[in-house]
Amino acid sequence: MFQNRTEALALALPAAVFAALVFVVPVVLLLSEGFKSADQWTLSAYVDFFSQSLNRTVFLRTLKLGALVTLAAAVIGYATAYAIVSLPPGAKGKMIGLVVLPLMISPVARTYAWIVILGRTGIVNQALMAVGLTDEPFRILFTETAVFIGLLQLFLPLMVISLISALENLPRDAVPAARVLGANWFQVFWKVILPLTREGLVVGGTLVFTGSMTAYITPAILGGSKVLMLETLLYQQVTVANNFVSASVIAFILIVMSFAANILLKRIATARNRT
Amino acid sequence: MTQRLYAPIILLLVMIFLIGPFFIIVAASFSAGDTLAFPPQGFSLKWIAKVFTVESFRQSFAVSMFLAIGGTLTALLLGIPASYAMSRYKLPLSETVRFLVSTPIIVPGIIVGLALLRYFVIPVGLSITLALFLAHTALVLPYAVRVVSASLANLRSDMEEAAVLLGSSRLGAFFRVVLPNIRGGILAAFILGFVTSFNQVPVSLFLSGPGVRTLPIDMLGYMEIVFDPSVAALSALLAFLSIGIVFAAERFLGFSRYV
Amino acid sequence: MSDASFLSLDKLSLAYGKTIAVKELDLDIRKGELLALLGPSGCGKTTTMRAIAGLMTPVSGRITLDGADITRVPANRRNIGLVFQSYALFPHLTVFENVAFGLKLQGIGGDELTRRVDAGLKSVGLTAFSGRKTPDLSGGQQQRVALARSMVMQPKVLMLDEPLSNLDARLRLEMRTELQRMQKETGVTMIFVTHDQVEALALADRIVVMRDGAIEQIGTPEEIYNNPVSSFVADFVGFENLFAIRNGKLVAAGGIELDPAGPLPDAAGLAWRPRAIALGAGPFTGTVRGVSFAGGTREYLLESGFGTVKAEADVSVPGYPLNAEVAFDMPISAAAPLHRFG
Ligand SMILES: Nc1ncnc2c1ncn2[C@@H]1O[C@H](COP(=O)(O)OP(=O)(O)O)[C@@H](O)[C@H]1O
Ligand SMILES: [Mg+2]
Repeated sequence: MFQNRTEALALALPAAVFAALVFVVPVVLLLSEGFKSADQWTLSAYVDFFSQSLNRTVFLRTLKLGALVTLAAAVIGYATAYAIVSLPPGAKGKMIGLVVLPLMISPVARTYAWIVILGRTGIVNQALMAVGLTDEPFRILFTETAVFIGLLQLFLPLMVISLISALENLPRDAVPAARVLGANWFQVFWKVILPLTREGLVVGGTLVFTGSMTAYITPAILGGSKVLMLETLLYQQVTVANNFVSASVIAFILIVMSFAANILLKRIATARNRT
Repeated sequence: MTQRLYAPIILLLVMIFLIGPFFIIVAASFSAGDTLAFPPQGFSLKWIAKVFTVESFRQSFAVSMFLAIGGTLTALLLGIPASYAMSRYKLPLSETVRFLVSTPIIVPGIIVGLALLRYFVIPVGLSITLALFLAHTALVLPYAVRVVSASLANLRSDMEEAAVLLGSSRLGAFFRVVLPNIRGGILAAFILGFVTSFNQVPVSLFLSGPGVRTLPIDMLGYMEIVFDPSVAALSALLAFLSIGIVFAAERFLGFSRYV
Repeated sequence: MSDASFLSLDKLSLAYGKTIAVKELDLDIRKGELLALLGPSGCGKTTTMRAIAGLMTPVSGRITLDGADITRVPANRRNIGLVFQSYALFPHLTVFENVAFGLKLQGIGGDELTRRVDAGLKSVGLTAFSGRKTPDLSGGQQQRVALARSMVMQPKVLMLDEPLSNLDARLRLEMRTELQRMQKETGVTMIFVTHDQVEALALADRIVVMRDGAIEQIGTPEEIYNNPVSSFVADFVGFENLFAIRNGKLVAAGGIELDPAGPLPDAAGLAWRPRAIALGAGPFTGTVRGVSFAGGTREYLLESGFGTVKAEADVSVPGYPLNAEVAFDMPISAAAPLHRFG
């Protein structure tokens, strides 16, 4: 530990000033636009925004998809993480590698693949028609289902990784001990696994929820203008309507929700440390 | 018995879901047909070859490479000293600095791009290229600080003191003793930053001008007009590039230790 | 400058932020001396050492070395060696490169570098390990590298922070001898920090006992061992029965007063080692609450009317069983008089 403050500040200042100038100042300016009208501080932009039913629909849809994707990722995530943790060390490492692999691939490419799979002449519809389940192709692309699938595939790895590290820290004999005491698998999950991995679930959940809420590519490609989410709506407001005030409102909502998820994470994690 | 089958079945299904689409992209890029379809119609390398001939892809690839390399290097140049100061000095502003440099991770990228467009590009006339560069640097900064801080935390500070007592200056101790020992962390931060920047879309959405747009944005634009397998081919190529880099890094450095 | 004050600390005060760690320390160290800083954990030994090395700026006071005021001289120009408690080796360098580090910075290269590094490695018996990376070495070997790395610089003062505490019992004894040998051979002025009185007594020419950032007593091992000036030092070097003197009476730890067996000296307190308690006869009685066999002696815990007394007797004399009533004496002549109590 060194004691020279000037030296320390000189080292830390460039990064801090850069982040403040390039990032904090413009973002704060942008956000302030949503609270101003003719140089008066007001919430009228927010009232306007939520008075339009399209905006309300988009807002609720974003929340709903975020929540559904998070829930699905948690369920599949536990099943996957538990299976991976129980593998022998070598296989476990390889599996973790495979789970992380998609994160390195461009989201554009990852989302693009779903067009081939979910489109009118895509694999799913071909298969359904081949086995005679339907004569007409289903419309899957440009529905909430498509966006849901795309987001889940995009963010599931983050949940699995968080849960793997949580499960690895589980006391070695906790699950067998509970089984010996007569708990069924359902009880083991609720009474043993869930409480002991809550921190991992919260970390993963926040990543998945914020990720889904603020994703742009997936709703843009798989939802299009039929299934707008807050990000795609923001883009439209700027490029089509040239409405920066409305964009600022959406931006603020997105940031508030990101921060809320972040704070919730810390709350729950510290609440657990205290008990 | 059911228990023995549980892991393989779950993992097979999840891996099909996670990685299957990637194989479809790869297969589609070898198609001989003119539209994106699966199973591919015939086999050819024409779409892969086409990727290299599309002028806008070549331009935007160069832009993305410049941003990913230049932005990440700049972020490291800013982030390494800051991480060092935060880990080695009793700094009253430590928490403030840490908060400032980590905000870009919390704030959605699309907002950063929009804010830069609104307050720097439009009124001040800042060039799109420079705005992109600043935005990508800011985006990568939190990763650089996080990864470098983690490797500094594993490095005891009495090593620098030992170097000083042997006659080295403070700066000399940093270069002779600290830097060689966090090289792996810095490289890991570079790769993480590179991949993050290269694949980034929302930050760059509003920041495109004539001849200046990032590769992912260019791909999105191309897809809206032409629906041929060349985007699939390009995606597959990029994916192999990312995987190759990460694999090499893991192989030679144990990359995952730092992330 | 006289040899008696080769290194002097003059009213040295050191602080971490607002917490004072060392208060107005005065200390003169002779050239070629082997000095021990002894004291419980947290009393400021490491802090004092870091200030001497220049890793910490004093709040006030002066440090002079070899006649020159070095208070404001930066750490890299003091030529003071410090072997860190953690050794602080450079993990990316080999043993040879670690030892060569400081010499290279002085611009020494070629044959001379090789010769001096080899000599340093030889003196700590690590010639065969020259090409190894340091993390591959055992703790004891790492310490020798750290020692050699400092010694090749021919420092004016060599300081070692708890050099023996990370070693196992056998290595500790070996290292103790080796440090002593090295100090006698090179004549380097050496300061070492320890919280273990046995180490300090065995090794040092002089011992500085520290307490709460101040010096409690300075003396030769014999002086410290036989004539502790205060209850703190007495307790630290094994006087386990401590009594304050107040109004002509002895006062036990629990506050109970007792009449002394004879006239009291002019002191703040008296201290007896367990050995000094005479068992079998005397004005006091106690009940045996504990007996433990310690090789040549037996140790007794006696419960008396004024508190617990620790006594020790040769195994050659018949022992006392648990719960036996034993008469005992605390002869004033066998007590160490203390000048400060509490
Ligand atoms: N880096 C530090 N920051 C704040 N206080 C410290 C620091 N290092 C030591 N101290 C405090 O200074 C006092 C002396 O510590 P130290 O010199 O390390 O003691 P010793 O080496 O005798 O065990 C202790 O009270 C300790 O808590
Ligand atoms: Mg210490």
